[in-house]
Amino acid sequence: MSMLEVKRLTKRYGNELAVDQASFELEEGTATALIGPNGAGKTTTLSMLAGLLKPTEGTIEWDIHSGIGFLPQHPQFFPWLTAIEFTEMAAKISGVDAKLAKKQSERTLEFVGLGKAMKKKTGAFSGGMKQRLGLAQAIVHQPKLLLLDEPVSALDPTGRREVMDLLKSLQGHTTILYSTHILNDAEEMTDQVLFMQSGKLVEQGSLAEVKNRHANPQIRIRFDNSEQASRFLQNSPWQAEAKGASIFLAGSGGPAMEEVLSVLAAAPAGVAAVERQSATLEEIFLKVVGAR
Amino acid sequence: MNQLGILFQKEWRENQRNYKFFWIPAVFILFGIMEPVTNYFLPQILDSVGNLPDGAVIEIPPPEPAQILAAVLGQYQFVGMLVLVLAYMGAIAGERKSGTATLLYVRPLSFASYFFSKWLMAGLIALISVWFGLLAAYYYTFLLFEKVDFVKFLQFAATYSVWILLVVSIVLAASAALPNPGLAAAMALALIFLAQLADGLLGAYWTVSPVKIPSYAAQWLMDGPVRADFWWALGIAVLLIAMATAFGVWMSRKNAATAKV
Repeated sequence: MSMLEVKRLTKRYGNELAVDQASFELEEGTATALIGPNGAGKTTTLSMLAGLLKPTEGTIEWDIHSGIGFLPQHPQFFPWLTAIEFTEMAAKISGVDAKLAKKQSERTLEFVGLGKAMKKKTGAFSGGMKQRLGLAQAIVHQPKLLLLDEPVSALDPTGRREVMDLLKSLQGHTTILYSTHILNDAEEMTDQVLFMQSGKLVEQGSLAEVKNRHANPQIRIRFDNSEQASRFLQNSPWQAEAKGASIFLAGSGGPAMEEVLSVLAAAPAGVAAVERQSATLEEIFLKVVGAR
Repeated sequence: MNQLGILFQKEWRENQRNYKFFWIPAVFILFGIMEPVTNYFLPQILDSVGNLPDGAVIEIPPPEPAQILAAVLGQYQFVGMLVLVLAYMGAIAGERKSGTATLLYVRPLSFASYFFSKWLMAGLIALISVWFGLLAAYYYTFLLFEKVDFVKFLQFAATYSVWILLVVSIVLAASAALPNPGLAAAMALALIFLAQLADGLLGAYWTVSPVKIPSYAAQWLMDGPVRADFWWALGIAVLLIAMATAFGVWMSRKNAATAKV
């Protein structure tokens, strides 16, 4: 079931199109990565979905009662409130009953790893703690839709790992849309990808679909040393390219894996490894967004 | 709990923890005490700094106690206004600019509750400041000079309270309407002082003016203002408060999109 349907979403500032006719759908319970370079319009898109900005054109359709959680890229907190006070207030404003709000806030802060810092004022929080608190306030009222703007890019590797794990544990029962330019993260937790550039969605679909569309599966044969590689290349029955101790066979129109293996079995040269390499999100990113 | 209550609790915590709850009344009390005390010690002060020739005798008639209380209002009209405007210029504009408002605006927030939580808190502090300040002035005037009729004092302070609520409403409406705290302060101060200037120049022909409320308040200490003028001015002030707050609610909703994300 479609949780959110966006049609021709457009935001214009003067003559500048921040978001240009973006259309997409989010299926209930899926995670979607909104990928694009800085200034592509990711934050503007999320702000419109969160109701902070009014679209110039286009429609956003979704179940209003399902609740929404939003984590901005750099969440700002009232420095004189403690983490639990803030989270509780956030829950109550979102309509959670007062008694429940306290319990849910405590549970959520424990969940994001701020159990011990609950009663500390947020003014003293580090960047990583603020990001966790930002996540806590976004999920404390148990929204069905979670919008996250660069949820992990401000974190160190450890923090990133932990927050990614937290998000993955929400996957399935919460519909998540998050922007990122860290492609490893996107690959790790996504059902759908949206590539955005200059306000336009230039590529979208399920992760497998998009990978297939841009697939250029190369077969890589690694030898023990470069000498062997070049020797093999000389009498190679296929189009190939050498790089160091490896040679790469062209993907489309090239030989099938089975054929390669049977030829190699008969060859005397010292083969160390044979593998099929599929396109990574990074390659697709560079292809659709363009290396600048 | 309704949103007004939730947000008022936030304002309450903020104003306590950034000490506005304490220092703003302290300023008003200080100026309330200073007026009678400097009046009392005026001969000695003149004597010690005056460079007067030997043998010169200064005779200052003791001031009327009502005059002293009126002079306190004079201080409040300048220093007091300045303190209140500077303390609350960022109440809304500052939250938008720093981005703290974003996490509130993204929720199903009632902007009326949002604005009035701030109006109630700022109004409460302004009233506490004025009443404690004037009571301090009243007490020291009684101690050092003479007693002022307490009923007259109540009429005086209550009348001035309406003016102070009007000032608070203007500051918060400016904070809701303008993009940053500095502009909000400039606008609020310009509005308040220009209105007073206009009243000073043309006020003789314009008796029914909310700007006259402070001077009507001082008149309660003597025979009281012309009743019809007073009630009209008060009515208009209340109307202006209603208009300023309605404008503030509307502007805080309208400007929500300018909050930093």
